[in-house]
Amino acid sequence: MSNPFENADGVYLALINDEGQYSLWPSWAEVPAGWTVAFGEDTRQACLDHIEANWTDMRPKSLIRAMGE
Amino acid sequence: MSQLEDILPLSPLQQGLFFHALFDEAAPDVYTAQLVLELEGPLDVPALRNAVAALLRRHANLRASFRQRTNGEPVQLVHRRVEVPWREVATADAAGVAAEERARRFDLAAPPLMRFVLVRLAPGRHRLVFTNHHILLDGWSTPLLAAELFALYGGAEPPAAPPYKGYLAWLARQDHAAATAAWGRALHGIAGPTLVVPDLAARPPADPGRVRAHLSEDLTGRLTAVLRARSLTLNTVIQGAWALLLALLTGRDDVVFGGTVSGRPPDLPGVERMVGLFINTVPVRVRIDSAETLAGLLGRVQSEQSDLFAHHHLGLAEIQRLPGLGPLFDTMTVLENYPLDAAALDGAGAGSGAEGSLRLAGSSGTDATHYPLALAVVPGGRLSLRLDHRPDVIPRADAIRLLNRLTRLLKAVAADPDRPLARLDLLSADERAHVLHDWNDGTTPSPSSAVSLGSAPSPVSSATAPASSTPVTVPPAASVPPPAASVPPSVPPVPPPAPPVPPSAATIAEAFAEQVARTPDAEAVVSGATSLTYAELNARANLLAHRLIGLGVRAETPVAVLLERSADVVVATLAIAKAGGAYVPVHHGHPADRMSWVMADTGAPVLITDRDPGFGHAAEVIRLDGGAPDHPREEAEAGPVPRDNPRDDPRDVPRDDRRDDPRVRTHPDQLAYVIYTSGSTGRPKGVAVRHRDVLALASDRRWADGHRRLLMHSPHAFDASTYEIWVPLLNGGTVVVAPPGELDPATIGALVAGHRLTALFITTALFNLVAEEDPGAFAGLREVLTGGEAASPEAMRRVREACPDTVLGHVYGPTETTTYATYHRVSRVDSAVPPIGRAMDGMRAYVLDGLLRPVPPGAPGELYLAGSGLARGYRGRPGLTAERFVACPYGGRMYRTGDLVRWSAGGELEYLGRTDHQVKIRGFRIEPGEVEAVLSRHPEVTQVSVLARDNRLVAYTVGTAAPEELRRFAARALPEYMVPSSVVPLDALPLTPNGKVDRAALPEPDVAVSSRGPRTPAEELLCRLFAQVLGLEQVGVDDGFFDLGGDSISVIRLVSRARQEGVTITPREVFARQTVEALAGDGRPDARSGPEADAGGLEVLLPLRAGGSRPPLFCVHPGAGLGWPYSGLLRHLGPDQPLYTFQARALSEPGYTAPSIEAMALDYLDRLREVQPRGPYRLAGWSMGGLIAHAMGVELRARGEEVALLALLDAYPGEKIDSGGREELPALFAAAGYEGPEEIGKVMEFVHGQGGRYATLDEQTLLAVYRNYRNGVKISQEHVPRRFDGDVLLVIAAHGREADILTAADWKPYVTGTIEEHTVACDHEAMLNPEPIAEIAALLRKELT
Repeated sequence: MSNPFENADGVYLALINDEGQYSLWPSWAEVPAGWTVAFGEDTRQACLDHIEANWTDMRPKSLIRAMGE
Repeated sequence: MSQLEDILPLSPLQQGLFFHALFDEAAPDVYTAQLVLELEGPLDVPALRNAVAALLRRHANLRASFRQRTNGEPVQLVHRRVEVPWREVATADAAGVAAEERARRFDLAAPPLMRFVLVRLAPGRHRLVFTNHHILLDGWSTPLLAAELFALYGGAEPPAAPPYKGYLAWLARQDHAAATAAWGRALHGIAGPTLVVPDLAARPPADPGRVRAHLSEDLTGRLTAVLRARSLTLNTVIQGAWALLLALLTGRDDVVFGGTVSGRPPDLPGVERMVGLFINTVPVRVRIDSAETLAGLLGRVQSEQSDLFAHHHLGLAEIQRLPGLGPLFDTMTVLENYPLDAAALDGAGAGSGAEGSLRLAGSSGTDATHYPLALAVVPGGRLSLRLDHRPDVIPRADAIRLLNRLTRLLKAVAADPDRPLARLDLLSADERAHVLHDWNDGTTPSPSSAVSLGSAPSPVSSATAPASSTPVTVPPAASVPPPAASVPPSVPPVPPPAPPVPPSAATIAEAFAEQVARTPDAEAVVSGATSLTYAELNARANLLAHRLIGLGVRAETPVAVLLERSADVVVATLAIAKAGGAYVPVHHGHPADRMSWVMADTGAPVLITDRDPGFGHAAEVIRLDGGAPDHPREEAEAGPVPRDNPRDDPRDVPRDDRRDDPRVRTHPDQLAYVIYTSGSTGRPKGVAVRHRDVLALASDRRWADGHRRLLMHSPHAFDASTYEIWVPLLNGGTVVVAPPGELDPATIGALVAGHRLTALFITTALFNLVAEEDPGAFAGLREVLTGGEAASPEAMRRVREACPDTVLGHVYGPTETTTYATYHRVSRVDSAVPPIGRAMDGMRAYVLDGLLRPVPPGAPGELYLAGSGLARGYRGRPGLTAERFVACPYGGRMYRTGDLVRWSAGGELEYLGRTDHQVKIRGFRIEPGEVEAVLSRHPEVTQVSVLARDNRLVAYTVGTAAPEELRRFAARALPEYMVPSSVVPLDALPLTPNGKVDRAALPEPDVAVSSRGPRTPAEELLCRLFAQVLGLEQVGVDDGFFDLGGDSISVIRLVSRARQEGVTITPREVFARQTVEALAGDGRPDARSGPEADAGGLEVLLPLRAGGSRPPLFCVHPGAGLGWPYSGLLRHLGPDQPLYTFQARALSEPGYTAPSIEAMALDYLDRLREVQPRGPYRLAGWSMGGLIAHAMGVELRARGEEVALLALLDAYPGEKIDSGGREELPALFAAAGYEGPEEIGKVMEFVHGQGGRYATLDEQTLLAVYRNYRNGVKISQEHVPRRFDGDVLLVIAAHGREADILTAADWKPYVTGTIEEHTVACDHEAMLNPEPIAEIAALLRKELT
């Protein structure tokens, strides 16, 4: 079974949630509640590149706020 | 006139049936077809018989018989006349007659291959039973014949149909090559067959079962309308729907099944009226494209199939040969759109002929019976679905579910053909409720679950209050270097007001503090003779936590931990949590490069350890071994943890003696630890786990009962340590620290009893070993947890039987979901592999298909885990994290495990395998990609592929690098368990048609098994046992156990298996003799006469390998006197290198005491010259053995002999010898409280409990070893080396004694030539352990060639 996240030729999205966490996501699948499209549609690698470039602090936003007090 | 009218070739389909009939003698023949006609009203019997005779006259092919020419070619002989196969019976049992007729085989050589029986039930009521062999007629032709029969009966003479011969001529005109090419293209790149019952051939035949369903008239109408509007055929929708079901059933997204085609070429005039065999079953291949809609899929299937239409005449056997994968399918579909009057087919009985109404009772399926699943669809006002199934493999209930699913699918097509496949729900409401909710009963992640750890109010709840109210606060951030985890975020600052830390928040420090308050005097940790209460542990951890804070440890600061298993591990881990940092356990078994890499990757500013790390790093070091690590209590009383590192900042000294709780404000979402696992892209990845996750694991209800005194034995860097440390400590239990060294069954049994353990976790491999060796070892435990690899039902059964009062928990979980994600309590063990159970508290398990849809029970899918315990991600790897921790359709994030599982009917998860190449070897998770990445960095490797075979890692390489060189290369960068056991050089890697490495085609590694087979029953037995234990096909009598990959665990396994077979061998003998030949012989083939001839592995000169064309290498024993550890050199030096070891005479001659090193050297020289009379000689010695080897070298040179190699392995010249705890042996004796010979029993017990290399000795030998060691220390100190005339290879153990580390300068006075100096990253005692010995062997090998 090929995994929907492992299709090198597939079309993907980069999703983001309220905590600033990212998820790779196949473009054909419904975007789950709580997530919005941050980037794409694009190739898998382009989506991952976007995530690498933008998810620089991997702590969830609520934690960043709490630790920043 | 000849009897024969014609001699014709066979069509491809006829050939298939002909050969089937030749080879299949079973009755009934599945290719016997039957049509039963119900005749109502007055019947003119002679007229009907004449009509039958007329049929035979009109259709030449009905008069054919089938034979083989002498050259093997089959032909059909068309006879001019055949007898009319007509019989009349009067009985009420028409069904019995029909069954009899079906059971009676046709002889293909005796025409006609058809029979009519007229059954007279009553006046005016008849049945006409028409039976034929399928080689004559297909299902389409039968009704044509029936219609013609009754036209003839009625006196009409219908126009003659074109003869079958015309079809055979058409066939001969077809472009065979084009058809082959078209099928080749259609099946190109197919990964494998689509089988619902892969082992069908091995099963006895079974009568098919049959289930039916009918669509309503309304639904049939709507479906027909949609199909018409989209120009889709009914056959297309059946094939598309079946493909989707099959994908679900098999977990494949590229499926093949059989499709029945009419086989009647439209360019043949009158073909629709022809009678004969045209029908064919061809493979229908459907690839599921996740991005498509239903209509998109159907349109594509229709187009792909119509491209093949012109090539339907090729035989199935020939088509299946093209991809070369064997039978491609075991299910099929057929659309039964036979040219019959719809009313007659419908069974309405509305005949209009004057002969009375004619009803077709049905035609028996001729193609369906031998497939496990065959779907027949009959068009009509109500579409009819019929599913034939093998009830032994597809039970009736499953077949009904399948048909219901098909109906739902057809409904979906009728309702919304433009729906994307990903949103197509194939589950029933019940199934959906089960897999999403009912079987995920711990669905509510409870933030307060950590609070439930204890009911007492928290004395440190102020820790969560705003920082300003807490006196002990973190210093201003500006004064400390920013921890690596909190690099300035690029996301815009979040606007205030920031929400307060949730009141329900709970962290490790808080939960532990609550426990300290509740039970300050309860035992928290016990390690050897020492024990710490909760209050004592708290004080020690506080002390260290303050020190960490003083060194700049802040929230989420990574702190590396490199500690031998001890109470200190618990103290350090707790201290880091208290300081707010994240612990990063590293493993001392890993090579220096990897350690350095992890240090750099985390940027850990502090390393807590008990040794000289021996690898590069930029961290401050906290040494815990300056005091007495085995006596933590005394150390605590003695004051501050000693500080060895001069770089420690003196400014933080005042913190060092504080034992109050640092009360660092910590958020539950902060990181608790980072554990590194293998990464497929070539570098390890750090799984970042939060406090919340640890508490979720610790508070699981499954531990509430019985997990009180837990054994801590897993490596700290292995995530089972989370369970072993935090489940007891956060629940008021006790961590029982196992002694150093590898656990074996006896040790486990001793620990269980000796420490009143209540629970422990062990890996599958060790569990299986215990089950085999000593299944009762767990008796007394409330629960034993095991998991990590595919479980052995037999091992579980043995343990259940031996320990009926011990609960057996089967656990599963990746590091990413905090140790354990699912749990199954093993109650009954049959032959099936036990399931991995259901999600634990707060966690949710989803089994999804390639379209991210939940799959029904029984269908394979990938396991996704969500809920509490889900780690934050991979530290510093956002892309990798976003790939694996993905959005969850059911809320939050979910981790994509890569594990293939299915739900059982009862709602338990069953493990099936991996979706990728990840493997587990001895419980260690390994990405072959990481090993491939390392090997491909070697300049002489152009291609590499790594996979696991029989629990070993095998690398296949293309390039000029030698296998041994590559193993060494890998060992420098990878932990021992990731170094391939074999490296197989290939000219090229085999590729699949798609251009990927064809892993299945990679050859078995050649383990250099000799060709010498066993000659006696004893050798036969031992060869078999060697092979079994080492997982090899066969083993020769002169293959060395260790050369073939044997290790300490496999030695124990071998001895145990041999004992079960009635042969007694000891581990010692295996070490000493190694080959089947030597083990099976009465004496040792290599043994020489002498006083120690019966020494059984203790002789002065022990040949480890006598054979080989190279000059031998002689290795001299260390202080203990045994030379066995040098056996580890064998597999690295190669089968061509003879290897001998000298062993202390005191072992084989009780009472003997060597007077001096010189005396030992002279003694050994005599024996040396028996084996090798003349130089040049090659000598090596470890520890004291180095001194002796040096003395031997000096003497040989004095006698005028050449010494080609003198290798000194961490050998210290006289004055640097000290007797204090440098070697394992005296430490063992000391630890056992040895004071004199009368206490040897105590020592034996202790030594056996410890396992390791001395555990196989008997009392007397152990004492001799000990005495020899004591004497060795004495004579070493007295020894003044002379000068050796030559060069020396000096290998230094880099760890363990930086104060007086050995250098070349130490030996300079005793060597005239050069001293080539090398260091190995290990301590003195570990020098001959598998990893360092591989490096040492590499150095020796260079000198030996």
